[in-house]
Amino acid sequence: MNTGNHMKMQIPAYGKNESFARNAVAGFAVECSPTLSELNDIKTAVSEAVTNAVVHAYDAESEENLIEIAADIDEDNTLTVSVRDFGRGIEDVAAALEPFFTTRPEDERSGMGFTVIETFMDEFKVDSAVGKGTTVVMRKRIGKDAES
Amino acid sequence: MDMECIRERDGLTFVFHGDIDEYACRTLRGEIDGEIVKRSPSVVIFDLGDVSFVDSTGLGLILGRYKKLSAAGGVLRLKDVPQQVDKVLRASGVYSVVEKVK
Repeated sequence: MNTGNHMKMQIPAYGKNESFARNAVAGFAVECSPTLSELNDIKTAVSEAVTNAVVHAYDAESEENLIEIAADIDEDNTLTVSVRDFGRGIEDVAAALEPFFTTRPEDERSGMGFTVIETFMDEFKVDSAVGKGTTVVMRKRIGKDAES
Repeated sequence: MDMECIRERDGLTFVFHGDIDEYACRTLRGEIDGEIVKRSPSVVIFDLGDVSFVDSTGLGLILGRYKKLSAAGGVLRLKDVPQQVDKVLRASGVYSVVEKVK
């Protein structure tokens, strides 16, 4: 049981920030006393969402192309992470969620990013508007393994 | 991310250290393909024992090398796969085409 917590940060959509973003959220989640496996799940899911924003949301890696990451811990030890960009948006979200779907097969994109998020988190949703950006919200209850 | 390439008689082993994410893959892909084109190995081993993190871009790197190698009659094997890496690879079904070895 804890009192909850909140964090929010903005970073440019640089490739080098993929590592910073997943490690920052993992650092925030340590308060929930996750197992190593749970911590890795969170890092992997955050990395997928941030990588999507870096690769797909913007045409260039420049300072004004931002990714906003927020995370919340609530009283029952559930971690909620949102990854938001202000870029081009996804035309067909349902298609994007399908395994192996990618708009960039020539770059060897696996098309498995959302499938990995779905596998590693308890729930997630994607809101997107063309020309405005995309928000991925994902949630995981920490400590389930220890209770069961 | 650091990578070493060990050249053997008809094989190549790539030893990875650190995180394999999208940023790392930007340079890894070209380096690996350059070695493969130069040496035309029949067996390529990715030694993943010291890999701290992989996401679906790392998966794309593995599948991309697998496709190129198998088109040329070569084989790709994944060695010493750590737990986090194994979970990502299992979630994506890589093991149905790429062999895991100790």
